[in-house]
Amino acid sequence: MSVLLQQLANGVIQGALIALIALGYTMVYGIIQLINFAHGEVFMVASYGGLATFTLLPDDLKKTPAVALPLMFVGGIAVAVLVAVVMERFAYRPLRGSSRLAPLITALGVSVFLQEAVRVWYPDATSNLPYPKVFPEGNLSLGAVNIPWTGVLLIVLSVGLSIILQTYINKSRMGRAMRATAQDPDTAKLMGVNPDRVIVLTFVFGAVLAGVAGVMFGGYLNNINIDMGFQNGIFAFTAAVLGGVGSIRGAVVGAFIIGLIKTLSGQYMPGGTQYDYVWIFVVLILVLVFRPQGLFGEPERVRA
Amino acid sequence: MSTVAISEKRSALAPLGKPLAIAGGVLAVVAALLPWVTFSLNDGNWPDKSTLQFFDAPFLVTGFRWHMLLFGVFILVAALAPTPSRGRVLRALGWGTLAVSFINALYITIKGGGLGAITALDGEVAFGGVVGVVAGVLVILASYGIGIEPVADWKFKVSTPVAYLVLLVAFGGVLYAVAAMLTTGGVGASNPYAGAIFLSFLGFAGGVLAALSGVGLVRWISALSEEHRVFSVIVLAACALLLPFTDAGNEYWMTVAANIGIYAATAIGLNIVVGLAGLLDLGYVAFMGIGALVAANFSGAATAYFGFSLPFPVAAAIAAVVAGIFGAIVGSPTLRVRGDYLAIVTLAFGEIFTRSAQNDIGGFTNGSNAIPGIPALSLFGAEFNRSITIGPVKLPGGVLYYILIVLLVAATMAVFANLKFSRIGRAWIAIREDEDAARAMGIRTGKMKILAFLIGAMLAGLAGAVFAHKNGTVSYESFKFLESITLLAAVILGGMGSIPGAVLGASLLFVLPEKLRDFEEYRLMIFGLALILIMRFRPVGLIPDAHRRAEMAEKADENAEEAHVEARKA
Repeated sequence: MSVLLQQLANGVIQGALIALIALGYTMVYGIIQLINFAHGEVFMVASYGGLATFTLLPDDLKKTPAVALPLMFVGGIAVAVLVAVVMERFAYRPLRGSSRLAPLITALGVSVFLQEAVRVWYPDATSNLPYPKVFPEGNLSLGAVNIPWTGVLLIVLSVGLSIILQTYINKSRMGRAMRATAQDPDTAKLMGVNPDRVIVLTFVFGAVLAGVAGVMFGGYLNNINIDMGFQNGIFAFTAAVLGGVGSIRGAVVGAFIIGLIKTLSGQYMPGGTQYDYVWIFVVLILVLVFRPQGLFGEPERVRA
Repeated sequence: MSTVAISEKRSALAPLGKPLAIAGGVLAVVAALLPWVTFSLNDGNWPDKSTLQFFDAPFLVTGFRWHMLLFGVFILVAALAPTPSRGRVLRALGWGTLAVSFINALYITIKGGGLGAITALDGEVAFGGVVGVVAGVLVILASYGIGIEPVADWKFKVSTPVAYLVLLVAFGGVLYAVAAMLTTGGVGASNPYAGAIFLSFLGFAGGVLAALSGVGLVRWISALSEEHRVFSVIVLAACALLLPFTDAGNEYWMTVAANIGIYAATAIGLNIVVGLAGLLDLGYVAFMGIGALVAANFSGAATAYFGFSLPFPVAAAIAAVVAGIFGAIVGSPTLRVRGDYLAIVTLAFGEIFTRSAQNDIGGFTNGSNAIPGIPALSLFGAEFNRSITIGPVKLPGGVLYYILIVLLVAATMAVFANLKFSRIGRAWIAIREDEDAARAMGIRTGKMKILAFLIGAMLAGLAGAVFAHKNGTVSYESFKFLESITLLAAVILGGMGSIPGAVLGASLLFVLPEKLRDFEEYRLMIFGLALILIMRFRPVGLIPDAHRRAEMAEKADENAEEAHVEARKA
């Protein structure tokens, strides 16, 4: 029983991480129907950006987590936003209005490029890099279950940021412009919405969340490597599809489900953790085949 | 807007076009005859006597300086003789000149440490690189001054014997170019300058090819070969089989050529799924992996699952069938899933394959230890990996594999070509263009889409079986996501739905890593960048399929019209 509870807790933490990334996928897809394959790499780059920020800090600041940790978030988010904006401007924007295939292949190219750029140019990026110990240490003990404080922070950030995002999109003027562009870009344009601005802003929001996720990933697992982007990106994409692409609430719920599937299948399914990855893909295929609109998606939406 | 910029530039440059081109041509010739380096680089002389030593024999230019000389002569000819679509030809030659001189000058500068190596700053005269770059820029400007006309269309007809002769010469030229491409810069790591020499050669070959195609020759010859299709296929096959007798006929290049052939065959299979049926498959290499693993398990290797060995043709057939079955399974979601969602489903299947193979599922794959010691093929007692002697001719090792693989590629090409022009192929193209309309026309879309996956997977499984026997070992490592992307990139780079395109794409993507060992670190990064740039600037690929090209041209016209309308509005 305590094993089950512990795995449930681990699954929720994983889900919180995946949710932060999945929101980026779901927003971009909702607005320009692009599977931004490189979004996982934005998350990875952000993680390295946070680490680089820490490395550049003077020694006395490194020892005061209250300063170092926020600065790492700022650094990671800044790198992620920069990468996302450049990517949107030079890789995706010229292809707007071309066939569906072209942007997807471009996204694959961007993904390979980012991963390789970090591997070649970041010092020692070929092996796992340890993440600095500036995060709150120790565990929150609830009976038999131990949740590390980084996990608690991750859950709080993830849920909090998605609520803020949801509110912003539902209540603010820019959020209304976003929803309008997602529904009908041409009409939105006629109503005075600047689509370029909306799209860039969407990428920026996604990058901010990926930036938070990247730094928290390092804090939670203590190690980062260049493969983390692809793997977690796929998980996040699966979560976005499971929840219904385009839906904020769906992405978050889907992410928690994916996190739980990962930890529980690693514990209870034959093959153990070596096959947890496979179960997530099985779920992905089943969802796409039997409920392509996801849990919260609109069924009538035509996806060619 | 860009058209406005060009036309403005043109008005300023128009009267200068011809003189600029002539000046550029003369400068290119001069650059070829000038020394390029004033000293020996650390790894030995920069190739082909480009230092001051050349004054010992001023007219024996070889290597990249020979290419520069040719460019110079071609530019002068194009500028002075009545050339069809002159501006287009000059633009190609100018970019070629610029590429060759820039690559060489840059490499000398980096390896020699500073500009002193290519200018007169050291007190010695070594202007070659700078003059070459200036020549290239001048010719490019000249070409815009003259104006870029559409590619010339050669109307004249020739009699059959003359056509045969032209085709023979053309395909002989292709054979020579392929052999040169393989051998330029030496074998792998033995030459410290191999990477740079090869890039420079690519610049030369690209410039000349673009010029030939600009003048209309390429279009004319492809029309001729279309007219005499049987003859062309025979000559092309003969040329491919003659490769072992050229300079490239040693064991190393035979191995590389055989590997390229395997990937080319797989790329043609993928082309059926992506190029014809328009179903994006991101896990395609898994089918090749399944074929390779099945064949390996029937081969009698030490860790094979079955303790007996089947003759290769039987094992290959089983491999193809098993891969085909998996193809149909992977394809079955196409009944409900479309577009990029389908791409993700195929990606998921690919990842499931990799993960399962890595964990030695069912004891079939031997996990990360791979299946070693797969016996080489043999025919009448001749082992395929040994060298063979026929009378006075000694052929290098691996040549029999090469021949087998040429036959494999020819067979996949035949399958592809026959399918493409059949009822099934037309159905696939209809589905690619508009699935709902295709269904309305009475095409059973679900069946057709699964058939595309099945046939594509069978071809990949067959290629995988050959791959297993040729390499002697099979590991899941050879069939990861990146390989799928590389294959997809080969198809797209070559041109979707086009047969020569798939072969060309596969050759480029699998030769380049062999040649660019200097740049090993940056290989994948360049690859990613290349994907982005191709999609941005030439989404139809290098050799676009005629049908696709027509479509794109129509779209371009529409765009131009829209732009025109908008311009009038403004």
